Amino acid sequence: MKKIITLLFSSLALFSAKAQVDKGNMLIKNGTVITITKGNLEQTDVLIKDGKIAQIAKNIQAPAGVRVIDATGHYVMPGIIDAHSHIALDGINEGTNPITPEVNESDVINPFQIGIYRALGGGITTVHAMHGSANAIGGQCETIKLRYGTFDPEVLKMEGAPRTIKFALGENPTRSHGEASGIVPRTRMGVEFVIRQAFSEAKEYAEAWNKYNKNKLVKGFRGAPPAYSYRHEVLSDILNDKIIVHCHSYRADEIYMMLKVCKDFGIKRIVFQHVNEGFKVAPELAAQGAMASVFSDWWAYKFEVYYSTAYNAAILTRNGVVTSINSDDAEMMRHLYHEAGKTQKYGALTDDEALALITINPAKQLGIDSRVGSLEVGKEGDVVIFKNHPLSIYGVPMYTIVDGIVRFDREKDPDDMRLMVDPKQTIESATLRDKHNDQDHCMEGAEFILDSELFNANKK
Amino acid sequence: MITKNRMLPGVSGLIILMLVSCSLLAQEEKELKPVTRTYAITNVNVVQAPGRKMDMATVLIKDGLIVSVGKGISIPGDAIVIKADSMFMYAGFIDGLSRVGVARPKEEPSRDRVKDPGNPTPERAGITPQNDVRYSLNPSDKSVEDLRNIGFTVAQVAPYGNLLPGQSSIILLSGKSIDQMVLVSNASLYSELSGANNVYPNTTMAVMAKWRELYRQASQAKSYQSLYASNRNGLERPASDRVLEAFYPVIDQKMPVVFKSEKMLESHRILSLKNDLGFNLTLGEVKEGWPLISKIKASGAKVFLALDLPEEVKKEEKKDDKKTDKKADSTKTKEVAKPKTAADLEKEALEKRKAEAIANYTSQASAFAKAGVPFGFSTLTAKPKDIPANLRRMISAGLSEDAALAALTTTPAQLLGLSDRLGTVDAGKMANLVISDKSYFNEKSKVRYVFVDGTMYKMEVKEEKKSDPNAKVEIEGSWSTVTQTPQGSNDGKATFKKEGSSYKGTVSGGRLPSPVDMTSVTLEGNKLSYSYSLSFGGNSIKVDVEVTVEGDTFKGSASIGARGSFSIEGTKNPKN
Repeated sequence: MKKIITLLFSSLALFSAKAQVDKGNMLIKNGTVITITKGNLEQTDVLIKDGKIAQIAKNIQAPAGVRVIDATGHYVMPGIIDAHSHIALDGINEGTNPITPEVNESDVINPFQIGIYRALGGGITTVHAMHGSANAIGGQCETIKLRYGTFDPEVLKMEGAPRTIKFALGENPTRSHGEASGIVPRTRMGVEFVIRQAFSEAKEYAEAWNKYNKNKLVKGFRGAPPAYSYRHEVLSDILNDKIIVHCHSYRADEIYMMLKVCKDFGIKRIVFQHVNEGFKVAPELAAQGAMASVFSDWWAYKFEVYYSTAYNAAILTRNGVVTSINSDDAEMMRHLYHEAGKTQKYGALTDDEALALITINPAKQLGIDSRVGSLEVGKEGDVVIFKNHPLSIYGVPMYTIVDGIVRFDREKDPDDMRLMVDPKQTIESATLRDKHNDQDHCMEGAEFILDSELFNANKK
Repeated sequence: MITKNRMLPGVSGLIILMLVSCSLLAQEEKELKPVTRTYAITNVNVVQAPGRKMDMATVLIKDGLIVSVGKGISIPGDAIVIKADSMFMYAGFIDGLSRVGVARPKEEPSRDRVKDPGNPTPERAGITPQNDVRYSLNPSDKSVEDLRNIGFTVAQVAPYGNLLPGQSSIILLSGKSIDQMVLVSNASLYSELSGANNVYPNTTMAVMAKWRELYRQASQAKSYQSLYASNRNGLERPASDRVLEAFYPVIDQKMPVVFKSEKMLESHRILSLKNDLGFNLTLGEVKEGWPLISKIKASGAKVFLALDLPEEVKKEEKKDDKKTDKKADSTKTKEVAKPKTAADLEKEALEKRKAEAIANYTSQASAFAKAGVPFGFSTLTAKPKDIPANLRRMISAGLSEDAALAALTTTPAQLLGLSDRLGTVDAGKMANLVISDKSYFNEKSKVRYVFVDGTMYKMEVKEEKKSDPNAKVEIEGSWSTVTQTPQGSNDGKATFKKEGSSYKGTVSGGRLPSPVDMTSVTLEGNKLSYSYSLSFGGNSIKVDVEVTVEGDTFKGSASIGARGSFSIEGTKNPKN
């Protein structure tokens, strides 16, 4: 059905804007290579050609003109992937409606945010830039590679990465809509209802189009087409397995509810985000192939996250759930390797299991594991070089490399890495608190729903 | 998301209201027909088009048209002769996008809560593409005169609003009625990537989603309408839809979409909408276009660059340095200059980057010219009084005078499809002309005459003595002020008190609940300027007043935040 619509409008697409992405060549010599998927290789070289890993072996000869980085005594691991973040975005929540799948973070990528560079300093190379959690079905998200330095938002996008979308259960959507506007959903039941209703409408929409398109082939057919709805187009895409669902959730009951909704509507790919009570339904998640992206030990910031444990990631992993650890926060993103390390204290995961939580597993959750997440020939040249083991408290990222290009070098880390400078900004003495970058952005943009009464009161 | 920026218009609207205490009843004057519509401008240096000059020529105008340009032209008996000896004449300037002459809506955009914020009416969401800016034109709006006074004669004007407020017109900066002003109606569909307050679409991403949906719905509705028109028998009647129908000429490529596109990322986003949907695009008020010149070029979008520039960094610090140096010399201590602290160095580095950033804005026009991308200028956010200086800044940043002139005349004429009528000083074209006493781009040049559609506007030559740096005036005491705003005149009071070598002051009146202290008062010769801030719900709006004092009166302008500038007059109150 989508095809027909695409056909309808394809004549209008005059040219496509393919972004020019820089790719580099590089030889990383003599490090301890942590492949994640194929064990550790001592004193081994990694050759990157045209942005891709061309060879992993001992004593590779540097091709002429290729930059060589000596990693002797250092650890070479795949770039860290954060499956839940809100950096590099101008706008997080379209909090006006509980169902807004048609909005797309891909439209509001901001390549100038300094948080991108800071994340590189923590070894991050790929980020899932997500819509917030104000709506039951929020907006589509964008998987970006941290090619900091570009002025073109298209360049940040990981070309060809699968489409993803944000769902949210529990307190956030009920507060944003039920409490603030007095509309459904006001309860967890309501959240389930609006999701089921949206999917049911999308099914009807798709059927109406199918019927119309079939009728159109009949000679002499005369009739009106169903009205085009961007919202229902995207919902149909979810039902047709074209979009991976990433569902903000905390409580076991709502997670289990969502598993049933997926079963009823034939949704195969779902990743639960936060999923603090995931440990209670780990076997159920595993059985349905659902994945989980969790915090290492962040909880009790609202009522629905009181029942939590730092063993969550380990329990999920041991039950066969593909699990990742995410930041949801520009500051925490800079030390996701510490967060992964906590699973060794709480749950005794192995080094590879712990590091998989921030590399290959989030790659699987974003549908990009054939391209990134481990060091293997043919994969993209996204690499972090650590001084000391990344799971050690002394681990420090020295270089962060994206597509074979050094995007962060601890030795060459200038004071002012801003790309754009506001010409009207007044320069004042420094402040320590960076309000924009040290908060959880999950509800950003939805504040007005809660604050507008106050605003009106002020106006009076 | 509510940003400060979005709140400002609402707040400054309140200020205007507070300033207005009564409305003026203009006295009706009886209009007389002009004696003649024939003018001969003699002995003038005519820059007919960029790079095409004719010195000491005569230009003959009749009935709104240029009749002839040349030497030894015989002057008809009914002509008013303007001896423009050694003056410079250009084609009237064209403004690619502004709101000159457009009455500001009386009501601020609603921020009321609606019952279901996800499904507002199109009007509440800012979606009224069927609206026509002609219905909001005000021929006597002061902005028309302000822009005309610096040489502009034609402007494309857009309605106020956020997402799709309506269709633009190309207007003459002249005329007593709306219809006299309009040159081309329904010139383009105007849009901004800004969302509605508290309702869908609120964020930029939702605005873009809504834009795509509307365009596709309109494409669908349009093809069904033509199917229906070809044979109505047995077909369900297509519903009328004012919003979607407004897109039809855009889909037919008969009408372009003009977007306000100040920010670099806005430009990227607008270009991606164009790529998705394929409409003819004009980018207006571009301020940060230099990094994406090649992308703009490839897209085929038309461009109007903003005539607004960020203020230059004032080099106050150097003065301070000198002062301290002198002091150090006089006290003859060995410590000539204090060693710079880390904070000083950091501040210097930040200042340097800021200066570099400003240079990018200033050199944007020259970068577009070098890349061979044709562009005009727009004045959506520029203050008319800053425009000549901003043009000179662009020229000193590498734009040639010819290129600047082209961007004011021939190129916008071409981009707006008006080349057959406007843009050059040639026989047969509309008599839209600017005459300045020196080359227009000379710092000391003053515009002396502007012709719009054959109507002459003579500029008052300000008496030199008016701004006399050596004049001695006494401002101490209380002054009654009258500020003219679009809503009427407003009475106030300003009080000055001398303290040492400087002044302090307070402002009261209008609907100000209590007197407000001035934040600065400077008096240089007879030039007086003072500023004060008003605060509303945590937002502060700066008011800058600049006047020239003569005896017990002053005259000048008051600019209120981004609301523009209004004329202000003051009279000194007798001492009690």
